[in-house]
Amino acid sequence: MAVQRASMLDLLSTVDTPQAIAEVAPLLRSRALEEPLPPRRVLDIFELWSAALGAGEMRDIPGVTFLRLWLRRSSLEPLLLGELGPEFLDAHWQQRGQAKLRCFPRGVVGHWPAANIEIQPVLSLTCALLGGNSSIVRVPSAAVAATRMIIEKLQEVDPGGEILQRVALAFFDHDSIEMHEAMARVVDGGMIWGGEEAVTTVRRLPFPASARLVVFGPRLSVAAMDSASWSDAKERRAWCQRIARDVWQFDQQACSSPQALFLERHAEHDPAEFVTDLKHAFEEENRAHPRRQIEPALTSAICRARASWLVGDETNRAWFPQSPDWTILLGQGSEIPKPTQGRTLTVLLTNDLAEVIAKFDGTVQTLGVAFKDRSREESIAQIAGFHGVDRVVRIGQMHTFGSPWDGSDLVRPMVRIVRYLPSQSGE
Amino acid sequence: MIDVAEIEQSIEGLLKSPLYGQSPDERRATLLPLLQKELAYACERSPRFRNYVEHWPVDYRRAESIADLPFLPASAFKANPPLAFVEPQAIVRTLASSSTSGQAPSRIALDRATARRMTRSLSAIIRDFAGAERRPYLVVDTPDNLAPHSELGARGAAVQGLTSFATEIVSCLVQDEHGELQLDVESLLAHAEKWQHREVLVYGFTYVLWNHFVLPMRRTGQTLKLPNALVLHSGGWKRLEHQSVTKDVFNRGVASVLGCSPTRVIDYYGMVENVGVVYPDCEFGNKHVPAFADVIVRDPLTLSPVSAGEKGLLQICSVLPTSFPGFLVLTDDIAEVVALDGCPCGRRGISFRFAGRVAKVEMRGCGNLETTRDGRSKSVYA
Repeated sequence: MAVQRASMLDLLSTVDTPQAIAEVAPLLRSRALEEPLPPRRVLDIFELWSAALGAGEMRDIPGVTFLRLWLRRSSLEPLLLGELGPEFLDAHWQQRGQAKLRCFPRGVVGHWPAANIEIQPVLSLTCALLGGNSSIVRVPSAAVAATRMIIEKLQEVDPGGEILQRVALAFFDHDSIEMHEAMARVVDGGMIWGGEEAVTTVRRLPFPASARLVVFGPRLSVAAMDSASWSDAKERRAWCQRIARDVWQFDQQACSSPQALFLERHAEHDPAEFVTDLKHAFEEENRAHPRRQIEPALTSAICRARASWLVGDETNRAWFPQSPDWTILLGQGSEIPKPTQGRTLTVLLTNDLAEVIAKFDGTVQTLGVAFKDRSREESIAQIAGFHGVDRVVRIGQMHTFGSPWDGSDLVRPMVRIVRYLPSQSGE
Repeated sequence: MIDVAEIEQSIEGLLKSPLYGQSPDERRATLLPLLQKELAYACERSPRFRNYVEHWPVDYRRAESIADLPFLPASAFKANPPLAFVEPQAIVRTLASSSTSGQAPSRIALDRATARRMTRSLSAIIRDFAGAERRPYLVVDTPDNLAPHSELGARGAAVQGLTSFATEIVSCLVQDEHGELQLDVESLLAHAEKWQHREVLVYGFTYVLWNHFVLPMRRTGQTLKLPNALVLHSGGWKRLEHQSVTKDVFNRGVASVLGCSPTRVIDYYGMVENVGVVYPDCEFGNKHVPAFADVIVRDPLTLSPVSAGEKGLLQICSVLPTSFPGFLVLTDDIAEVVALDGCPCGRRGISFRFAGRVAKVEMRGCGNLETTRDGRSKSVYA
């Protein structure tokens, strides 16, 4: 029965019919709106969940280290304070002039995460839970195993089902329009992640007119370093390690993964100095986090990228092992090259980083930066902001999931802010 | 300077040696130094190719195995003008792949020497499977694919590659006014009647043979009486996949229309980038590599050669071309290594089977936007 699926009795069973979704939604809504869970209690459980995810068997789930950090109170409390204010944490009304404001959950939030980012169904879910909502999460097939393991850890720390009773996981094929539609019809809000086609398809679903949708669509990310940062031999190695970590995390498949690095030309230093350190960092990262499997199509794409780079322009250079483990392509230019993924980073020398960034057209989500001169970096951040970049962060923190993301708050869109003007003025 | 005459002499020697007589060790000892010389020659002729070779993680001059030499992915041949090691005036013919997947075709430039070697090697391989005698040649294609062109498609190249075995040539397809292929039944029946007691060579692209020969003949209920027909076909199965035509169904279908045994239907694998080398199935269903070539099946995870019984990305190696970089080519095909040596058919060296195409590459995850927002952008369903 759908009712049981919504409780923790049989949480992980497949919601495989539109009817089951229609049945579970009112129960989830009633839990969110009639049995509110104080935000501080949510944070308590998340803290325990974070600790539970440190278990050895979780280590191989891509992104789980990051998820552990995300679930810590020290990450989430500042986020809630920033987005919703201190009154939200205490479930109080906030005085605003004569009126009072308070956040309330929307009800049931539907989640459509991107495929192949294993932790994204849970990340998306946590955003809605923090706002006091219940959730129906469509788990992409590639993320089923990881999501099951992560939710089982939640079961361990939430034996009373305080959180779990507010969650339904839906496992169905991505082309099951009937199920997508059933989910869309019953939700009060939606968090939609993924590529252009996926996002466009989900947005066309029959959501209620009142449903609030927040879309995290297709983006890519790049990094930029000024000449002072990369030419400093002492700092260079650390920056290279940070870049390698950003490339390795999520196997370069996330929208926040750097695909290219723009390197400001230096009058005296050969960029090969930098790339030599970068190569060592890639080798170290590869030793620490070797790939366990790969699609043949990705191997082909990596081989293609290496060949077309070097054969296409005899001034281009490259560093790569015999395996497809990683690739560094070095050339010059100001255009973002077509991403290959698969730990393939294109390093492009440029005379003017500002000029490069001024060409961005909204497709760049995150700009990873390393600048010695803070005021110059601020000026670059401003140019990036005017040219569609939503996150400008230090290299090494490109995946640090935080609010705002893609230019949008993560929790706030899934709450309603109620304005109350008392009928009697004064005390 | 590399002496190309020396290279040509070595290739000549291999073309004269027994086709399938070398052990894997003998083959490596013969081919590795020759491929190294060819790479050096190619580097002298093309700065772009040299740039690729010089960045390869293993110095080809010190490589101890063919697997360590720098290979090009097949996509490198999609450049136009094609990557060539000879002056434009020395190019006598350009071959283009069939490009069934709708992508840009591969294009390779042949000079006179490479073209001549291609013809000789192809004849030697076909002779090994079909015998040396000339016979009537039934082309299941249009006469246009028999005409000389400076730029030749894969079908034309395959059709024309067999003409040296022909006493007379008849093509049995015509294009109607809508450009559709139609079977010239009248001519076909007349020639089949004339040839019915003779050895006949039949060639067609796999899907052409099925869709424009077998199916129309079945619809009319007509069969030929050519029990001594030997059918060769190539070009891949991609266009027949959605029709659920297996190799067994295909062989029986073709044989029933021609009136011969299904064992006389031979599929061979070949690609324009590996010009002059084809891989017909032996009687045990395995493909073999002639003395002037090699194949390496690579594990997609490591790109190291796989062991017998394992599948991976197919790399083809050939010493024949000197006008384009077709020495070492990583294909987008998957193959299974049957054995590293010792096929019961008696042919020495690696035996393998074709196991499908690499799925189309899709960008994964939420970072799946290819370039920018203007006309170049493209993303895929996550």
